[in-house]
Amino acid sequence: MFNQLVYEFALWLDASQWSTLLHESYYMYSWVETTHVLSLILSLGLLFVIDLRMLGIALPQVPASVIARRLRLPMFIGFGLMIGTGLLLFYAIPVRSAQSVWFRIKVLLLLGAAANALLFHYRMQRSVASWDNATIAPRNIRAGALLSLLFWTLIVVCGRLIAYDWYDCSHGQSGFIEAFAGCIDGQTQF
Amino acid sequence: MPPGSLKSYPRSIATLALLGLAGWFALSGWRIAAWDALLPLFEWMETTWFGVIGKTWGAVFAVAEATHLLAMALLGGAIVISDGRLLGLLLRDVPVEQVLNKTHRLFVIGLVIAIASGIFMACGVATKIYYLPVYWFKMLALTVGVLFTFAIRRPLLADGVENLNPWVVRAVAVASLTVWFTVAASGRWIGFSG
Repeated sequence: MFNQLVYEFALWLDASQWSTLLHESYYMYSWVETTHVLSLILSLGLLFVIDLRMLGIALPQVPASVIARRLRLPMFIGFGLMIGTGLLLFYAIPVRSAQSVWFRIKVLLLLGAAANALLFHYRMQRSVASWDNATIAPRNIRAGALLSLLFWTLIVVCGRLIAYDWYDCSHGQSGFIEAFAGCIDGQTQF
Repeated sequence: MPPGSLKSYPRSIATLALLGLAGWFALSGWRIAAWDALLPLFEWMETTWFGVIGKTWGAVFAVAEATHLLAMALLGGAIVISDGRLLGLLLRDVPVEQVLNKTHRLFVIGLVIAIASGIFMACGVATKIYYLPVYWFKMLALTVGVLFTFAIRRPLLADGVENLNPWVVRAVAVASLTVWFTVAASGRWIGFSG
């Protein structure tokens, strides 16, 4: 049921003229994809520094709250660019993306990273006054920073793997892969 | 500008002259001769273990690509923070020397991982990238970036940012952001070529 809905939604996107134009435009598609990748510099680059500060590796002499507060805006600009261009990339190739095993794992990891970020923010807001100048953050904050590094490393790996077609529905897959990828019996568009 | 700050400038000028020489080389006939001479090296790269693994196991190659991207993010994040600080846009309430020193370590770690993963990937597709102009453009940009960072930017700023003309500091920051953005963007474009 869920997979059928996802497939129909993807087909609906695929039928739009802009989706085809974006997919078939060599320069436009390449620019969108390049922006998606380069936005990692702002989003992940700054997130890594914040996480590494909590682990006592980057800028340990600077108060943790200063690092988190001052880098937040450019980091969010980076994430905004990344999400915007990511949605455009999905829109350009909707059916294959929606049925990509790697894309589905990536979405689950993104949800996990978002939940971890919210929890991290909540914990930090509640306790930072008591350890702001400490070179290493308390254990629960460090755990959040490590989880964040792990989530984003896996997200980038999955993002890269989307380009490979090993588990595409068009190739005919095992039952487990077909179920996870949401392949539809008798589907004609991929 | 205090007279003491001048001592860094001759070194920067010498490095710029070196970069100019590299530019002349890139535009002259010597470039073609060097390119021809490098073909056996690229053919050999594909026969190494790195080359065989990169060509045989797509998943290993993909993980190397992701590692390259993560290293780029770390390197880029360090550049954005340090150059953002020099431009007065980021971490203004943190001493500039502290930001420069601590981010330089992250920059070096990112650069080493990016170069290591880059060499692995290059071995897997050596005879393909050899014929791609954008690959050579990236290598040129990378060389300029490394020379600029280690022979111009770092020695110049080591004398103390407060001793330098503010416009020199801003120019260094903008040049650094530009050259590393060019390296990253041309690297991505390799994937669209060939």
